[in-house]
Amino acid sequence: MDVFGSFALVLAFVCAVYAFGGGIAAIFTRHPLLIKSTRQAGMATCCLIFLATFSLEYLFFSDNFSNAYVAAHSNRDLSTFYKIAALWSGQEGSLLFWSCLLAVYVLSVLITYRNKNGELMPYVGVVMAGVQIFFLTLNNFVASPFKAFASPGADGVMNYVARADGSGLNPLLQYPEMVIHPPNLYSGYTGFTIPFAFALGALLARYPGEKWIHLTRKWTMIAWMFQSMGILLGAHWAYAVLGWGGYWGWDPVENASFLPWLTGTAFLHSVMMQEKRGMMKVWNVWLVFCTFLLCILGTFLTRSGIVSSVHAFAQSSIGSWFVGFLVVIIAVCFGAYLKNRDYLKSENQLDSIVSRESSFLFNNLILLVSCVAILSGTLFPVFSEWITGNRISVGAPFFNKVNIPIGLLLLFLTGVGPLLAWRKTSTESLKRNFGWPLGIGLLAGVIALVFGFREIYSWVCLILCVFVASTVGLEFYRGAKVIRARSGATFMASAVDLTMRNTRRYGGYIVHVGMVFVFIGLAGAAFNRDTQKDMQVGQTMQIGPYTLLLQGFDTKPEKNYTAQRMNVEVLRDKKTIMMLFPEKRRFSTNEQNGTMVAIYSTLKEDLYVVYAGDSPETQLPVLHAYLNPLVKWIWLGGAVVVFGTLVAMLPNRRAVLVLAGAQQPAAQPLTHGLTPSVTLREGHD
Amino acid sequence: MTKARSVAAITMLAMFAVMPLLITPVGAQQLSDRAKQVGGKFMCMCNCNQVLTGCNHVGCSTSSGMLKELNQSLSRGDSEDAITQMFVQEFGTKVYAEPPKSGFSLVAWVLPSVYLFVGTGLVVFVISRWRKRPAQHAAPAGGAPGISAELLERSRAQASRETQD
Repeated sequence: MDVFGSFALVLAFVCAVYAFGGGIAAIFTRHPLLIKSTRQAGMATCCLIFLATFSLEYLFFSDNFSNAYVAAHSNRDLSTFYKIAALWSGQEGSLLFWSCLLAVYVLSVLITYRNKNGELMPYVGVVMAGVQIFFLTLNNFVASPFKAFASPGADGVMNYVARADGSGLNPLLQYPEMVIHPPNLYSGYTGFTIPFAFALGALLARYPGEKWIHLTRKWTMIAWMFQSMGILLGAHWAYAVLGWGGYWGWDPVENASFLPWLTGTAFLHSVMMQEKRGMMKVWNVWLVFCTFLLCILGTFLTRSGIVSSVHAFAQSSIGSWFVGFLVVIIAVCFGAYLKNRDYLKSENQLDSIVSRESSFLFNNLILLVSCVAILSGTLFPVFSEWITGNRISVGAPFFNKVNIPIGLLLLFLTGVGPLLAWRKTSTESLKRNFGWPLGIGLLAGVIALVFGFREIYSWVCLILCVFVASTVGLEFYRGAKVIRARSGATFMASAVDLTMRNTRRYGGYIVHVGMVFVFIGLAGAAFNRDTQKDMQVGQTMQIGPYTLLLQGFDTKPEKNYTAQRMNVEVLRDKKTIMMLFPEKRRFSTNEQNGTMVAIYSTLKEDLYVVYAGDSPETQLPVLHAYLNPLVKWIWLGGAVVVFGTLVAMLPNRRAVLVLAGAQQPAAQPLTHGLTPSVTLREGHD
Repeated sequence: MTKARSVAAITMLAMFAVMPLLITPVGAQQLSDRAKQVGGKFMCMCNCNQVLTGCNHVGCSTSSGMLKELNQSLSRGDSEDAITQMFVQEFGTKVYAEPPKSGFSLVAWVLPSVYLFVGTGLVVFVISRWRKRPAQHAAPAGGAPGISAELLERSRAQASRETQD
């Protein structure tokens, strides 16, 4: 299987090179046979990558420890579930997995558009093949997962040996979310290749702008959704496994995943400016370029060892390959832009500062400022070492101080933006749209003050959350009311109908509600409490309204590890609520320790209990308990965000009338200050 | 305002107004002790990349040692500056959880504000340019400066012809 996998990868590389070279030739010659053959070479590349990935998984499932990668990341007792995850647990396998997910996207694009967009697709195919060539180069020549396990003999010669058992999987990765978190995150990273390929392809093909936006909208949303899910699942994994009571530590690798999400979010908003008004074309192209570049930069940070991170792969020389790739992409993007930038001029003017257009500009500004601030903070230790010789750490306190105000500003714009009209918002409309939401938000703020909210950021966050939720609620209410008046259906049925008539707009609002939930959860962090105690059986510990009674210990032998568990009874008002079993695990194969947190989670708060080892002084086991308010809202918000994104991707049930200045025929003269024409389009906002 | 609308508005108002009741934490805020507060300003040096008080390693000897030193210093009545100096001498500048607000590290603090100001300036500049641009000079009618309107229109028509959603 080693040989089969290697051979499949080499063939995939050859096919990708043909798809790239032949694609360039096809662009110039427009020869139909050449176009078809390069498309088929692209498809073959993807299929061969799938074969290589399956063969590596087969090596894991057959416990073939003659393969160095399998020997280093698996063992016989590892459960089937984690043998799947072992594929992406190391440098080589995760790069192959990256290629595999990229191949899924590329193949989907090639199949979806096999009979469409004949002129544009060769450009797109060339860009996709170019990206695939880079990753296949790494898979074949830099970090191959198909190397045989060898050890030096007495004579110094390397001998290939088959080990009886492997070293096992990193205990931190033996958690259900590690089976779904990396695939989601990687699907996000790799997914942004598609909008990038279309944007660059359209620019090279001198398409004036709007077409590639339509073609890639769903691809971008899919990538963004996976990136969101990946980030949140990663945060949940950190919360439930690492045992420090938090979910986001501003670790460089966490930051690396957040950066393309920020620019991707900015793009999903600013793209509406281009669709509606024909504006921000240059900006949108560069946002897509930057999102893709940040995906590659994030991978570079994770894999080069340039910044220290608990999530990073082993330090290796692979970073220089990524730097080279980044340089090539930047050069190509700049070259294409400089050559064809005249095709990306804005077509409309801005009528008023108080308009939806302005709110999008400021939304993009805030997202980009946050992105650049996080990037510079992440790289600051490296720069400080280069310039002063001293490496200065930049940890969570810095990122919190910088990003909390930015986040609140963004939350404010989330509420304001949808209430502003395109082109110009009148004072009357401002009063009508903002009166209720602002009033409800402020009322919530006053009530919170009365009930003891004294953390300024959390208090502002609460007001803004209520404000944004009210604006969204009001939008649904007004729309549903009109439909109900006409159809006589119930309010809920009318709201569903409204959503289905304009899925993009109302799906977007649902995403905003999800973000409100996430912010509510984040605001709770200001009230986190924790306490720890050396415990003897029968002793109790108090945290908030909960009493924790240590009833005893037990040992739970599992196939791959042995768990020592604390049996903790949770009482509230002297009544038993439940039993919690925080664990300390000892993994037999690699002699490593791990923890498994026990959580009693409600919408109001999480009681989070960790078996934190034994005290060096008293030799007694230490129980560390946290009371984290509102954390569940974050996970709930994530689910709502995903649901909203899925709704936004659905086709509209019925076409609606929207103003579409950008779509009007170019030859028609424009009338100053007015939308020149009204065309029937699929309604989206 | 109709009766139904009033009822709906009052219901909505009441719903959002009681929201803080749900999310206001019960009980008074527990103030963290001094060691926790000071410890939050340093990184744990065990490579966990967490602040000292948030190290997640079971039985981490590095963080327990550092916290012990911290407790001893606090019980001696050492100032925060003295404790910072002690840790920097022992571990180097890597021990800071956030860059100090002096010397080159000040750059890290200043940069986000610079981004915000420059970005805002840029947005204001773009808005003012877009507002000044007369409608008849917008691209479809006048064409972009680098290429003719005809060419742009031809490209647009070609793009429409050659692509399908």
